[in-house]
Amino acid sequence: MSNPDPKPDPEPQKTFNTNDIDEEGDEGEDENENDLKDDEDQDDDVFGEPNRPKPKTREAQYRLDKLKMDSLLQRMQSGPVSVRVHDVIIKGNTKTKDYIIEAETEELKSVGSMQELLKASQLVNLRLQALEVFDSVKITLDSGPPELPGTANVIIEVVETASPLSGQIGAYTKAEARSSTVEGSLKYKNLLGHGDLWDGSLAYGYDHSAELSTGVYLPRLKGLVTPVTARAYLMSQDWLKFSSYKERSLGLSLGLFSSTYHDVAYNLAWRTLTDPSQMSSRSVRRQLGHNLLSSLKYTFKFDRRNSSMRPTRGYAFVSTTQVGGIAPDSRSLRFLRQEFDLRFAVPLGFYGAALNFGISGGVVFPWGNGFLNKPSSLPERFFLGGNISPVCALGGPTALWGFKTRGMGPTEPKRQVNDENADPSGVDFLGGDLAVTALADLSFDIPFRWFREKGIHAHVFACAGNVAKLTENEYRNFSVQKFVESQRSSVGVGLVVPTSLFRMELNYCYILKKFDHDRAKTGVWLTFTGAS
Amino acid sequence: MEQVAEREAEELTLVARKPCFDLPTACPLCLPVFIYLKLAHIPFRLSFNSIFPDSDQIPYVESGVYVAYNNENGGVIDRLKQDGIVDLDSEFESVPDWISTKAMISSWLADAMMYELWVGSDGRSAYKIYYSDLSWPIGKILFLKQVYIIKQRLGITKDNAEQRKDEIYKRAKIAYCALSTRLGEQSFLFDDRPSSLDATFLGHAFVTLHALPNTSVLRSKLLEHDNIVRYAEKLKMELIESGSSSTGAQFHSVPSSSAPRKGPSSWSSKPKSKPKKEKTEEEKTFKRRVKYFLAAQLLSVLLFLSLMGGYDSGDVELYDDDEGLALD
Repeated sequence: MSNPDPKPDPEPQKTFNTNDIDEEGDEGEDENENDLKDDEDQDDDVFGEPNRPKPKTREAQYRLDKLKMDSLLQRMQSGPVSVRVHDVIIKGNTKTKDYIIEAETEELKSVGSMQELLKASQLVNLRLQALEVFDSVKITLDSGPPELPGTANVIIEVVETASPLSGQIGAYTKAEARSSTVEGSLKYKNLLGHGDLWDGSLAYGYDHSAELSTGVYLPRLKGLVTPVTARAYLMSQDWLKFSSYKERSLGLSLGLFSSTYHDVAYNLAWRTLTDPSQMSSRSVRRQLGHNLLSSLKYTFKFDRRNSSMRPTRGYAFVSTTQVGGIAPDSRSLRFLRQEFDLRFAVPLGFYGAALNFGISGGVVFPWGNGFLNKPSSLPERFFLGGNISPVCALGGPTALWGFKTRGMGPTEPKRQVNDENADPSGVDFLGGDLAVTALADLSFDIPFRWFREKGIHAHVFACAGNVAKLTENEYRNFSVQKFVESQRSSVGVGLVVPTSLFRMELNYCYILKKFDHDRAKTGVWLTFTGAS
Repeated sequence: MEQVAEREAEELTLVARKPCFDLPTACPLCLPVFIYLKLAHIPFRLSFNSIFPDSDQIPYVESGVYVAYNNENGGVIDRLKQDGIVDLDSEFESVPDWISTKAMISSWLADAMMYELWVGSDGRSAYKIYYSDLSWPIGKILFLKQVYIIKQRLGITKDNAEQRKDEIYKRAKIAYCALSTRLGEQSFLFDDRPSSLDATFLGHAFVTLHALPNTSVLRSKLLEHDNIVRYAEKLKMELIESGSSSTGAQFHSVPSSSAPRKGPSSWSSKPKSKPKKEKTEEEKTFKRRVKYFLAAQLLSVLLFLSLMGGYDSGDVELYDDDEGLALD
């Protein structure tokens, strides 16, 4: 408890450290402290004992503090120690606005006991550190005003970051990307004092994509309950090898609402599809040009697995709904896209073994006048295949072991030129409007200690998937039986190396079923998947 | 449904910019190809791409896996000639005036059309032809970009704008006079038989007379030549307004359309020189190997760092109940 006595303390204060929560040691008795001691449960017994003579040596002070703390701990173990927060005092913020810090301290106002106060203080501390704009956060518990017994003041001392510029490099798997990306970014913290985080990043994806973007994250824009993110980006993806087109987008994405389970984002982009090779097939030629993409995306994610890198227990469900054409202009791209993922992980109880089951599906359809005759937009379609592991990827139907990027599904012959060196069997993979994949994976520890320590384990897997066209009246020819009969499948065995950046798999895949133009091979595959 | 789509894909199709101003396509680059195929009585299907106004590939002609783009081999018309699909000029290329007339139409009149569409008039005609099917912000930005490009191409600056304008209109006037003299009272420019120059000039004339505003200087200069106006109106009636009978039922795929018939294997498109192709392949292989090498280096560094740094399993826990006060 703080001593209102103006006498300076000759000894340095002893602090009680519990996860950066400091308590000031008792500096001695004061007449005012007598007013606070009404009963045994008062914090006066915690923060200072009346009528005790002031210790003169450091050792004596230390013993006194220790005695008080032991007494407090004993009381707290036997039952709740009643206290409420009178005031929250914020110190140390010169640039950061008070409301940013105050917004993170709401829990403190509703505590009723010392135990709750300590827990709430810990939570507030973590939240403030999570803002990433402070180098350190120190919370001190002090006694309230003498005229209000049973109260405490919480003093929050922050040290704003001295070096607001930081950089990092990492590997990720974004929901929009078809494969993992390596990303380098620079961050500037707290430019405006609203806890804002600005960043510029350059990302390169394994699927020949490059993205330059800049964004801002506002943890608490006034009046809004959730953080707001805004990101401007320039992205290009090269699909020439697979589908004879290149995609370039200049856009702005806004994170409107984000909570544990729900995420709503708006995206406005100018997208251009070009074919510099001039070898594209008819369907791709028809889609080349400029489009305005104005879409709203809602994601519901419920992940109760114990790990995304090596799930051994739990389940997860993700549903993503995207509506394009949210603009008064009827010429913008209009589509409806729905995808879902379901995963189960069941522990088997020996050698760390677990069985993972999963199913993913997605459908896309245009809307508006004459939508039944229109094709779906090429970049919005589903393409299966790629060097990512289906076990970890939770972004709709994307991957199948053993199939190359965009390596299966409807195809169309590319343009033919009179050139003897030209590939006569060149085809474009067009993707599909409906895609379904399913997987089963049995993972288990390798019986050597070194592997177990590093988390390296083995797995046996099987997967199946298919993709079909529904638009341009093709849905009339669709049948579930034909869809199931024409599915592709593969099995395999492999080694999994989970690292802090990504999950690497070295697999031997055997293709059970594929079709003529599918790009799949039986053999050794290396996959990389960032954390989803 | 699948068979209909396959049949459509095999038919000869001209992909052009959208129709407007009572023209099947109002783009001055696409309309000559349309007219050329009509003059040759080749049945074809007309399809549109209205979201790629800045593409130099459009117009293009396709049939199955065959495509003739406008930015290859001198243009679609020349490509159709080279591939033996249709050639109306075989007897005219030795005529002395042929080359000079062709040069005049493809330079002076083409420049005049570019100027009038993008700079001379208020740009509304160009906007309607090229950008009306694009969302407003995209259309506006592309339009402004194209105006800038056209000014660069025509060498127009703030200082010489008036001078260049006068020069362009003067050359257009000279060209119209020369063409009017050549045409006389004939039905076509050369030997009273249709040629690609008729197609090119008619495309220019149709756009000038119907797509440009009434206040257009170029339009008023063309209207001074009655025989050209009569020639244009008569052929418009025959080729366009007489109905879509030639774009009706009788379609053929490219190899079976007109004599001399040649299959895809014997199309005489310009072969790429072999040594250059081999060098490109070597370069590609080398670049691919370099990429794999660098990726392997990066991967091994990342693996080393992350494996030696340890592996964190499980979720990060926010609360550490073992520290501090144990209350439960």
